[in-house]
Amino acid sequence: MIRAEGLTKAFGDRVAVEALTFEAQPGEILGLLGPNGAGKTTTLRMLAGIIAPTSGTASVAGIDPARHPERAHEHIGFLTESPGFYERLSAARNLAYFAGFYPNLDVPNAVQASLETMGLLDRAEDKVGTFSKGMKQKLALARTLLHEPEVLFLDEPTAGLDPEAARSLRELVLQLKGEGRTILLSTHNLSEAEAICDRIGVFQTRLVALDTTQALRDRQFTPQVRVEIQNLTDELMAAISAEPFVNTVSRDVRDSSTLIVSLQDIDRDRPKLVSRLVVLGAEVLQVREDERSLEDVYLSLVREDMP
Amino acid sequence: MRRRIANVLRMEWAGMARTPSSLLFLVVIPALLIGQALLLSWVLPRYVNPSLIAVTVPQGSNLDATDAFRLLILGQFQFFVLLIPAMIANVFATQSIVEEKMNRTLEPLLATPVRTWELLVGKILAGAVPALAAAWASTGLFVLLASLLGWGALFPYVLNATWAISLFVLMPAVSLLSFVVGVIGSSRARDAKGAQGLAVLVVLPIFALIILQVTGLIWFTPLSTALLSLGLIALDALMVHFAVRLFARESIVIRWR
Repeated sequence: MIRAEGLTKAFGDRVAVEALTFEAQPGEILGLLGPNGAGKTTTLRMLAGIIAPTSGTASVAGIDPARHPERAHEHIGFLTESPGFYERLSAARNLAYFAGFYPNLDVPNAVQASLETMGLLDRAEDKVGTFSKGMKQKLALARTLLHEPEVLFLDEPTAGLDPEAARSLRELVLQLKGEGRTILLSTHNLSEAEAICDRIGVFQTRLVALDTTQALRDRQFTPQVRVEIQNLTDELMAAISAEPFVNTVSRDVRDSSTLIVSLQDIDRDRPKLVSRLVVLGAEVLQVREDERSLEDVYLSLVREDMP
Repeated sequence: MRRRIANVLRMEWAGMARTPSSLLFLVVIPALLIGQALLLSWVLPRYVNPSLIAVTVPQGSNLDATDAFRLLILGQFQFFVLLIPAMIANVFATQSIVEEKMNRTLEPLLATPVRTWELLVGKILAGAVPALAAAWASTGLFVLLASLLGWGALFPYVLNATWAISLFVLMPAVSLLSFVVGVIGSSRARDAKGAQGLAVLVVLPIFALIILQVTGLIWFTPLSTALLSLGLIALDALMVHFAVRLFARESIVIRWR
């Protein structure tokens, strides 16, 4: 549904996006994570046919957006970073204007349906200038849905929204995924990416990594177990270190009663570790997997990629 | 194609209708120019000695020197009225793209199936059509008021083929050119003031036309007016093409984030 092959964009000498290659399938939310100026928005703009790539090709809904932007636009909904509207006009009039550019679209019905989807039908005749930022963002999403596009590009959809509005927007995005749409989303919000994206692309001018959150986590960090022990001693640590299924053992610097153990296979070896500790006389209070956050994964990938 | 252009037209006109100051310009600029033309037609022949100016009395007419002088001034109105679309364009067209940039609506617009030329032609026509209507209405009003002032007998000499060609061919061509230049300025400038600087370039040649005609350096005949009009129509087509080429969507969306 979305396919990029060696997509590159340079502004003069500065390369904004370098040799981007990936694919996204229908019903998938793919998140682009990256620092400011990493080229996320430029990528979305290239794929949406707003700007032309310097080299490489793309295909969105089977259409090359650089060669046939207008045709591609019939299948793409692009939520731009700033939800620009004609503030002195009503929400419905704004949407009707944008809807008027799509061929064979029943404008009044399309406007009503997308306002209804976003829960803005009761504000249809209100001037957009009176809307809150969250409502404008919802209206912008309504605008991207007017023509029922198969592919959605969402540029920082929840940026600047209060937690409730952000949550409601995330629910809408998940609903759109459930309808089988392909969604490419750029965000700074790591917990949002983790919550709604099927796969995450860490982006820094080029694609540093692309996978599910769990796979990225596993790739960057060896799975570890944290064990809280009442009577933790150096002898106990030495005994555990000697076990064949244990890679490394260390004491948590912030909590001296917690042992951090890296195992060869976390699922297989965890029960063995607990029983061995008990045999060695350890009073085990708690055992839990040392879950690395997406932030850890992201920072690790970005730092690794730095020159 | 026509549907998308009509969509832009409807939106632009709805915007104008909601801005009383815009509508005021459509009335004030023509009113000022009509008032000025009538005042000149009344004052100059009255206080300037016609013998000081080489005025040719039309053959076979019984006009005295004062009326001949007034006739000369009335005859300039066909060119003077060209200032109406040029000045209205300076107000409207220069805002068109700048306003989209400032509202941040250009990028969402470019994400729809509208083509650049359709957007620009819509913007150009949205201003050029009311400006042309205002110029035509002004001409009618001028003739009516001049007749009420007792100069009706002079119009058979003024309302000739040159006047007709000027009104129905030259004036639409000038209106279009004014708005094309205004829209080009608007798409390239950072604000409306910058765009106005470019749009004022259309006003200057119109002043030159008036001066050339008044001083007698060039006297427009039906043929020369028709040729000038055809030249301008060709220039209009060329400028629309340039406007599309100069509409740098990439730098606009990147600069106006």
